[in-house]
Amino acid sequence: MRSIRQALAQSLATKVILSTVFLSLGVVSLSGSALYSRLSDGIKSASLSSSLAESRFTFFDAEYKLVISRNSTVEERKKILADIIVNSTTQVVKEARREVVFLRAPGTSRAINSYEMSSDLINPQSLPQKLRKEVATSAEVKYAYANVKQKSGIEEQSLVVGKRVNIPSGGRYEMYIVFSLANQQTTLELIKNSLYFYGFALILLIALITFVVVRQVVRPVREAARIATQFTEGDFSQRMEVKSADEMATLAQSYNEMALSIEQQITRLENLSRVQQRFVSDVSHELRTPLTTLRMASEVIYNQRTSFDPIVARSSELLSAQIERFERLLEDLLEISRFDAEVASLDAADFDLVALVQRCVKDFELGDIDTHSGIRIESSEPAVQIRADIRRVERILRNLISNALDHADGKEVIATIVATDTEVGIGVRDFGAGLDESALIRVFDRFWREDPSRARVRGGTGLGLSIALEDARLHNGELDAWGRPGKGAHFVLTLPRVAGELIAGRPIKAEPKDFHQDNFYL
Amino acid sequence: MTLVMVVDDDQDLAEMLGIVLTSSGFDVDLVSRGDEALEVFRNNPPDLVLLDVMLPGIDGIEVCRLIRQESMVPIVMLSAKGETQDIVRGLEAGADDYMQKPFRDKAELIARIRTRLRRTNADVTGLLTIGDLVIDVTAHEVHRGPKAIQLTRLEFDLLVALAKDPGRVFTRDALLSEVWGYRHSTDTRLVNVHVQRLRSKVEHDPEHPEIVMTVRGVGYKAGGPA
Repeated sequence: MRSIRQALAQSLATKVILSTVFLSLGVVSLSGSALYSRLSDGIKSASLSSSLAESRFTFFDAEYKLVISRNSTVEERKKILADIIVNSTTQVVKEARREVVFLRAPGTSRAINSYEMSSDLINPQSLPQKLRKEVATSAEVKYAYANVKQKSGIEEQSLVVGKRVNIPSGGRYEMYIVFSLANQQTTLELIKNSLYFYGFALILLIALITFVVVRQVVRPVREAARIATQFTEGDFSQRMEVKSADEMATLAQSYNEMALSIEQQITRLENLSRVQQRFVSDVSHELRTPLTTLRMASEVIYNQRTSFDPIVARSSELLSAQIERFERLLEDLLEISRFDAEVASLDAADFDLVALVQRCVKDFELGDIDTHSGIRIESSEPAVQIRADIRRVERILRNLISNALDHADGKEVIATIVATDTEVGIGVRDFGAGLDESALIRVFDRFWREDPSRARVRGGTGLGLSIALEDARLHNGELDAWGRPGKGAHFVLTLPRVAGELIAGRPIKAEPKDFHQDNFYL
Repeated sequence: MTLVMVVDDDQDLAEMLGIVLTSSGFDVDLVSRGDEALEVFRNNPPDLVLLDVMLPGIDGIEVCRLIRQESMVPIVMLSAKGETQDIVRGLEAGADDYMQKPFRDKAELIARIRTRLRRTNADVTGLLTIGDLVIDVTAHEVHRGPKAIQLTRLEFDLLVALAKDPGRVFTRDALLSEVWGYRHSTDTRLVNVHVQRLRSKVEHDPEHPEIVMTVRGVGYKAGGPA
């Protein structure tokens, strides 16, 4: 039942064919039964009128013979009656079988000479009582349809025609002629079966025709659906065939125009994107070369600063520092534009994440004499092999650690590593000023700064976390942030063990484990 | 004196590179066009070439290929574009190393140049074998039977690094530090491209290497004796 409903819902052809078959079944059965009843009525009335005519002749003949037998003996009269029966029951080939019965009418005394007589096969008791009454009370020819029992016990549909006859010196008798309707019944049966057969064949034929017609319509529709699917999947060159001038062709033509328009739009956008990439690449080249010169020149000047007077010396320091900042900004901007242009590529290799974290932390500890924050590494395992772009992962880690150190207010920073079979989490937790709700939403926004007045200890570009998030997502990973004012912040990087596979969960939750305890005791 | 040829179309940068290199004790030849580079190179063969990728005339990658056809001199590409394909194309054309503009500082530039000029593996002398190859470290020659195989200095260093420690599996990081002198680099493209190039010169069938073997997921090691 469900599969039928499914087929109905999924196939237009099935729907149309089924409804056509049901409707034509209705029409065919209605017209079939109407035809059948007209035919059977016609056949019945034709046979009735011929039977009545024949009966009248037989009755007249019998009455005439009886009248002229007035002077005959009983035996002779019985002989005449038997002759009448024999004459009228003699049948021509293919003619309906008939029987004749003489019955004593009610009121006629049971005389010694009974003329009750019938041809062998009929049981006179089975003649319809109603007809007998009518015959008894009227001089007219009467008839009725009835199941007449034969002596062998079989009932048979028959036409019974009766009339009152007077038998001289015998009194009133009823004469019945019983016409068997078996032949007629057979004919009607044949007609009925033919109607069934041809009706059924007609329905099959209609179903077949509908199938062929529907296929003509549905095939182009299916074709259109297939082409639209391929188009959706990115094959923009797919077009529908325009073969005729019908509605399907109009559809195909409109579809093709739409496809062409979309393809052109996409090509235009792709060109724009290519122009954009080209531009970025050119800007990169054009900016980097003078920056290299600037950088080296400022370095030469900077190295000589001890021989300058203090104002020039300080200026050379500022120059050098700002060139460095400018350079970082340029790098970050280029990286962001690579993500925007979707040309950032993943260069995956196998490496030990714990060793990488240790190296990053060591670099910070070596480089930052001015921060008093220590960095502690907590790892669930001594080594965690992952497959990822080490340059990008290192950039994310450096960014998170650098941020944490910037906001730690001299308190400890903890880097946690937890690995499962399919993913690895790295949490960087600080216990500094923390972040509020509004800051958490915007923390990954480009150029967003928590507090514009805050001193930029490490001189970040404001793009670090945006790039870190993009880097994480390039691996199919995630970067989550948690923070509470005064409770510090927690950034969690989750990466699949093999870059590009899906992550099923978070080995480290963004909300740090220590946070509940804090709440509990405070 | 050591002569460094600087090929860069940016006059100011070339001049600045000249100042920096001269102050570090190098002689400098400045060339501003790609199509002039080869002529200058032939007239006055330098000890090292600093080559920009984008050049008027013919581009740096083509210049690199042309120089490599006639000399095994160390070539360091300078690239303003950090795109992987540019770097890989330069390395495949025969460059030993590349530097991305802007350089971190003068010291980095000088350090890279010195690494390329220095004879690495100075502690190794005599003959080494790797597969069916014989390396004469002192004479700086590689032979397969009677046939000598021409290698750049860097390819030679790479081969010696592997051959002198036959049992050891070298990670790419270890090779970067041993052969290129990088302390913390994680750029494995350098190693990959140079291993491919070395294989194309020393292997019977580079698709099925027998000299420089890959250890999947780790790095490379020397092939066993033939």
